[in-house]
Amino acid sequence: MEHSSLPSTQPTAIEKVVAFIDERVGLKQMQAKMLNEPVPGGSRWAYVFGSVLLFIFIMQALTGILLMFYYVPTADHAYASTQYIIHDVDYGWFLLSYHFWGSTAMVVCVFAHMSQVFLWGAYKSPREMIWLVGLALFGIVMGFGFTGYLLPWDQRAYWATTVGVEIMDKTPILGDFMARFLKGGPTPGQMTLSRFFVIHVMILPAALMGLAGLHLFLFRAAGPAGPFRGTPEELKAKTDYFFPRQIWKDIVGMVVVFASICALAFWEPVVLLEEATPDPGDYHPEPEWYFLFLFQLLRLKIFAGEFGQFLGAIALPGAFMALLAALPFIDKDPERNIFKRPIALIGWIVVMVSILLFTVSAIINREFLD
Amino acid sequence: MAEERESLSPTKIGLGVLWPTFWTGLPFKLAFAVLFLAMGMMHFEGRLGLAFIMLLASPVTVFALPIITMGLDSHIGEGAGIGLLFLLSIPIDIWAFGVVGRTFFLERLRREPPDGLGMTLWWKSALVGAVFLPILWVVVGAVTSTGIAIAHSLMELELLKGIPVAERISIELTLWGSVASAVLIVLLLIGVSLVGRLIRSMAQAAPPVSESYQGVITRWDLMRVPADQGLMLTSLTGAGVVLSLLFWATLPVTTPHPHECCKQPEVKAQPPLKPLESLTKNEKVIAQLSAQVDVLEKQKTEGEADKGKAKGKAGKDKDASPAKKP
Repeated sequence: MEHSSLPSTQPTAIEKVVAFIDERVGLKQMQAKMLNEPVPGGSRWAYVFGSVLLFIFIMQALTGILLMFYYVPTADHAYASTQYIIHDVDYGWFLLSYHFWGSTAMVVCVFAHMSQVFLWGAYKSPREMIWLVGLALFGIVMGFGFTGYLLPWDQRAYWATTVGVEIMDKTPILGDFMARFLKGGPTPGQMTLSRFFVIHVMILPAALMGLAGLHLFLFRAAGPAGPFRGTPEELKAKTDYFFPRQIWKDIVGMVVVFASICALAFWEPVVLLEEATPDPGDYHPEPEWYFLFLFQLLRLKIFAGEFGQFLGAIALPGAFMALLAALPFIDKDPERNIFKRPIALIGWIVVMVSILLFTVSAIINREFLD
Repeated sequence: MAEERESLSPTKIGLGVLWPTFWTGLPFKLAFAVLFLAMGMMHFEGRLGLAFIMLLASPVTVFALPIITMGLDSHIGEGAGIGLLFLLSIPIDIWAFGVVGRTFFLERLRREPPDGLGMTLWWKSALVGAVFLPILWVVVGAVTSTGIAIAHSLMELELLKGIPVAERISIELTLWGSVASAVLIVLLLIGVSLVGRLIRSMAQAAPPVSESYQGVITRWDLMRVPADQGLMLTSLTGAGVVLSLLFWATLPVTTPHPHECCKQPEVKAQPPLKPLESLTKNEKVIAQLSAQVDVLEKQKTEGEADKGKAKGKAGKDKDASPAKKP
């Protein structure tokens, strides 16, 4: 009897490996710390954006690495190698289209995540640092979109970059240096492509990983803010741990985003224009869709001329970003309910409607140019 | 709290049930949508946003979509996959209505959820959608086109003709966009409140729950936990694996949208190489060719010999001829 009961008490091979690692790095303690985080008021769908963003970044890194096996970052071969990825590499068209739409999904999710934090009042004390690091991450995501746009080296890529760098050139003091540094010459060429490629695949991913880690660390140190409504009794009754409910919601959020990106890749796969040349020909230069509102804003008469361009391209967006950075220090009212913060609510609606209005205007403007 | 529950407006009740129901069923429907797209069973033209909203709101658009498509001659795309997807959405939506409805009855209304709540909520909402959404479609469409025409003619006035293009576009868009959005929002709220009224009448007929708030939360919480978690996890993983395999099996290897610039040359498949056969064949060919060479060489030698003979004869004749001359 004793002999037959022995095998059941013996640890399996996996258990032995886990015990070995646990003894050295404290795996179980780490796991408990990561999963047993209390979520005040229980898990919510509104909290999934952070995890979804991490998922999109991992998928972007994965598809980006696969694309790098075939992509050649030289002015002579960038276009041809991208065409080769689309037309000759097995599933290359899907990988490239997924990567392209993944960047769009990342921008949308960043907007959604920032909006959620803003509307929930989750930037308020003691979470100011999380908000500031989040703003830096927002800048990095925009940087990813800007630098990645040039890499296919078609007319769209070339002219979007030219417009973007010209806007950057209008920044006082640093603008000229930044524009010259990015271009590496009087017009975009090999040096521009090399620099954008290095920034896109080396500098920005490293910066994003570092800052995302810091963002998570600060978030865990301060703890989740929880819902802005509900009595303490209700919040206590509903309080849950991060595992399993929030993790389950996060996974569903990731599946939805993955399926949406796949659907977009099928609906509108990446199609290149003509190879980049310093002559725009019939092509009307315009930036990626998430910069379209700014581009359309600069077409207004009020922003014409050297000073107007500076005002629209640098001063206004700069002031807006500065206001966002200063927000937790200006808004010290502990009230988090958005329906009791009318200025914040109206401000958010105005910004969102303006972005939508100018983006749609830019799309309608194409008809006038054609 | 009890007063707040009693005073819940039909719009709040409708939104409280419809909004989470839309999102609860979406992941499952999206998985099928992606599969059908990979299989090439459906194509969306320029209206992917509208198609997404239709799919998201399938609990109310399931009957409205065919009415809008056939009756109003407006469609979101092509392919048998769209119809199939909306058919598959029916059981998913009934399940989603059941989960959300039971939660809402317990947590917000503190009423005992009646049996078959999911099915009842689904057919009532689908019916409201079938009647209301085509009306909304026609009204919003008419308001939008009239708004665009009025905004355009306003900007054509002599007084406003000098306005630059960019400003003109934004002003026109603001004018007709705000009117169309306002009409759309008002009509949507009316539609939602209609569903809310139906839910409220069902709730009024249901008995109140007897437990404390903590008890209700525990019950609501346990209700969402599957009885056999292992089975659920296994079946979900299995379904995920099957869907992934189907997806990769049906995903086109080369782009379904090839450019004009990069047409693939048609390559004919080479017959498989059989070394022994080709060696024997080649040996035979070589033997034949060498025989031909032999024959040609023989012919050449014979030809040269004949030529030599002819030359010899001609030489003799030449030597003989001067003697005859003088």
